[in-house]
Amino acid sequence: MNLSLPWWRTPRRAADRTLSLHAQTAAAAEEPADDMAAAPTVRVHGLSLAYGRTPVLQNLDWRLQPGQVVGLLGRNGAGKTSLLECLLGLRDAQAGEVQLFGQSSMTLDDSARARIGYVPQQSDLFEDLTASQLLAYFRSFYPRWNTGKVDSLLSRWEVPTGTPIGRLSGGQQQRLSIIRALAHDPDLLVLDEPVASLDPLVRRDFLRELVGQVLDRGTTVVFSTHILSDLERVAFNVAFLQTGRIALQAPLDALLEEVVLATGSESALAAFAAASAPAQVLSRQAGRWLLRGADRSAAPAGVLVQPAGLEDLFEALT
Amino acid sequence: MDTPIQFVVAPGSPEPIYRQLVEQLRRRVAAGQWVAGQELPSVRELALALAVNPMTVSKAYGLLEAEGLLQRRRGLSMVIAPGHRKPLATRERMDQLRPTLVRAAAEARQLGIPPEQVLQLLQRLLERPETGDPT
Repeated sequence: MNLSLPWWRTPRRAADRTLSLHAQTAAAAEEPADDMAAAPTVRVHGLSLAYGRTPVLQNLDWRLQPGQVVGLLGRNGAGKTSLLECLLGLRDAQAGEVQLFGQSSMTLDDSARARIGYVPQQSDLFEDLTASQLLAYFRSFYPRWNTGKVDSLLSRWEVPTGTPIGRLSGGQQQRLSIIRALAHDPDLLVLDEPVASLDPLVRRDFLRELVGQVLDRGTTVVFSTHILSDLERVAFNVAFLQTGRIALQAPLDALLEEVVLATGSESALAAFAAASAPAQVLSRQAGRWLLRGADRSAAPAGVLVQPAGLEDLFEALT
Repeated sequence: MDTPIQFVVAPGSPEPIYRQLVEQLRRRVAAGQWVAGQELPSVRELALALAVNPMTVSKAYGLLEAEGLLQRRRGLSMVIAPGHRKPLATRERMDQLRPTLVRAAAEARQLGIPPEQVLQLLQRLLERPETGDPT
């Protein structure tokens, strides 16, 4: 059998990547089990990608540990989608390497693919099929399939199951795409702007589903979103993508507690930064500096020190 | 009658969510509203109810347990620790409010707002918590 698992519709730039399932499992069996357990779920090393002359990812390193829920933040065009596609082996990078569950993402075997759920930014479902037909089709590829969860989500999220997918609304297609990604109880969930066209109630229900997935299976989750409040609820860690690299990844709690927004004259701010060394200056805008680990009591007269919110961090670090 | 234990979280605040949970429980216990023996929702229940990361809830519960406000019972459920029955003295509750007011006072000074206007705003906020706008 030479059939690759279609956990997305069309493997973009995925030429000649279908390896025999048997050969792969045989190779994997030689690896000591301990190493597999200790390995990060996702390991990215030296990833570089350019479109023409425009660099998108530049020697990017990144790791996701099992069970981590990481929010990926970056401005429009920062390369979040490109990064997630590279992560999944859907896009060839010019340099670097991605490992998922200890395997190269370019040569993933079917058993590893079956552990991944992906919600692409652009819904890429078969438009002529109905939701029921689509799910039945995917179901045939996965060793594990949570019918109870699928049926319950289809009804809670009011996804019509008998209408061709092409005639569903954007929001309905997105909900279906999420259901498909959750259906096989994946160990790694990659979500690219999964909630963009969902109404607030479904969004909240989706977040609950994600939390349940993390509770029940210890799923590793990476998701990009512009809705910072969702990210703050569900992501324990945040990663900021800036100029082609992960500029910072840290627990959000710690960042909110360690980072302050200082406003004042440039000279007073410089004095404050010097006085609170080794505080790290995360960003400098005119009269507005973001510092990590600064000693608030060291603020000279004329410097206003306030706690920073996630929006301030987003502004400074993306 | 005991006040039911319910938490609210406000994303977008500079205060991390785990800290919001910790502070809410501290205040409710100080006010004598949540009392010894009352059972808290499990980490699972609260994480699902609030749609927040379970580690955030665990972290809050762990800190509160270390502080002696929560006690872990057999079967892993958490209850308000013994001894917390009555509201604390007003003075002690004022002490809990103090850091927030110290910060507000410092910011008001830095912003150069006259004290009487600050007090007026606080008065209005106590009466109309949503906006502080005059009625």
